[in-house]
Amino acid sequence: MWRTFAYSISLLLFLNCILIQVHAQDTIPIPLKIRVGMEVSGPAIYYSDKNILNEEGYISIDLNEKRSVVLAAGYLNFKYSQYNYSYLNHGSFVRIGMDFNILKPDKSMGKYWAGIGLRYGLSRFTSEVPNFQMTDYWGTTSSSITAKTNWGHFVEVSPGVRTEIFNHFSIGWSISLRMLLYSGAGKDLRPVYFPGFGNGTKTFSTGLSYYIVWNIPYKKINAILKKEVKEDTDDNVDTDTKDAAGTSGTRKQGTVIRQ
Amino acid sequence: MRKFIPESLLIILPGTILFLLSCTAGSCFEETESYLKASFYNNTTLTAPDSLTLYGLNTDSLIYNNTASVQPALIPLNASTESCTFGIQINGVTDTIEFQYSSYPHLISKECGYTFYHQLDTLPKFTKHIIKDIYTGNKTITNLNVENIRIFY
Repeated sequence: MWRTFAYSISLLLFLNCILIQVHAQDTIPIPLKIRVGMEVSGPAIYYSDKNILNEEGYISIDLNEKRSVVLAAGYLNFKYSQYNYSYLNHGSFVRIGMDFNILKPDKSMGKYWAGIGLRYGLSRFTSEVPNFQMTDYWGTTSSSITAKTNWGHFVEVSPGVRTEIFNHFSIGWSISLRMLLYSGAGKDLRPVYFPGFGNGTKTFSTGLSYYIVWNIPYKKINAILKKEVKEDTDDNVDTDTKDAAGTSGTRKQGTVIRQ
Repeated sequence: MRKFIPESLLIILPGTILFLLSCTAGSCFEETESYLKASFYNNTTLTAPDSLTLYGLNTDSLIYNNTASVQPALIPLNASTESCTFGIQINGVTDTIEFQYSSYPHLISKECGYTFYHQLDTLPKFTKHIIKDIYTGNKTITNLNVENIRIFY
């Protein structure tokens, strides 16, 4: 009887230790934010080249410390002219998708973002060729193509970085790798350039965007920092130490407890 | 603030390099004219003629002038009209061929601009002094290297 009682007490103490361990895991408060960003290279390019005006902004909402949904919208007014043709295109576009932060919570702290964005883009544009010329055996032929409105569809992958430089303000850049799904204009009159995508004569296009972002915190969550299992066997002593903010050392992974 | 400076550089510097690399000017390296491609076959030897002269009727210039072993001949259609007639001299014997077609604009590339593609509406009409027959294959005339007709002589 006494032995059974001793076993029961030992079992209870053991389970209690496990429970204490679970609840005593390191956590870090992560602010979830609504971000409102403006692309700044478009207006800067327009300042030096009046033939292309691209204005773009986005809003994103953090779902957790890793993922956020993004809605971007913009406007393009494009004029192009060379020795044998001139081309006009103006219209607007939207992109919708997700951003994925690859930084761990103790690194990102809600301020830093390095990751990848996935987007679907839809563009509505009106293009026109006021004149084009071609010269052949029969002489020079001049013609034009009247304005027509089309819808273009594309997908985009955009790796990039973003960092908070002042309270609630971030800057960052991203590279855009886009794949055209449908230009809407048929194979003969593909758009030379269209909003949100770029050069519509090619299946793939690239771009570079610089952003200024206003961050609005709307909720805080606690990210749990799991200690990683060390692989080397010669030193099993856990050297991680907590700092004043309750964050811990370098070899940790994060999961989240919502408050 | 000390911490901010290197982090900002880390962001701005590679971004600027990528931005500069992205500004590359393009040139046109593609064929910009759409020719009707005509292959020649001698009825017995299936070879190209020893001498070919080709010209548009009512024009001064020649497309080919006693040229040997032309295979295929590149025949330019006039985008401003809906038909073209050519004089064709094969091994010293002259025939005429008339093509009826419709033309439509086609974007080659941003660098090259636009050209006209053509669609043959009817089978070619021709005289039969040396030409025996004309076989029509692909009726769409583009800047690609695709045979459109075969001329048997």
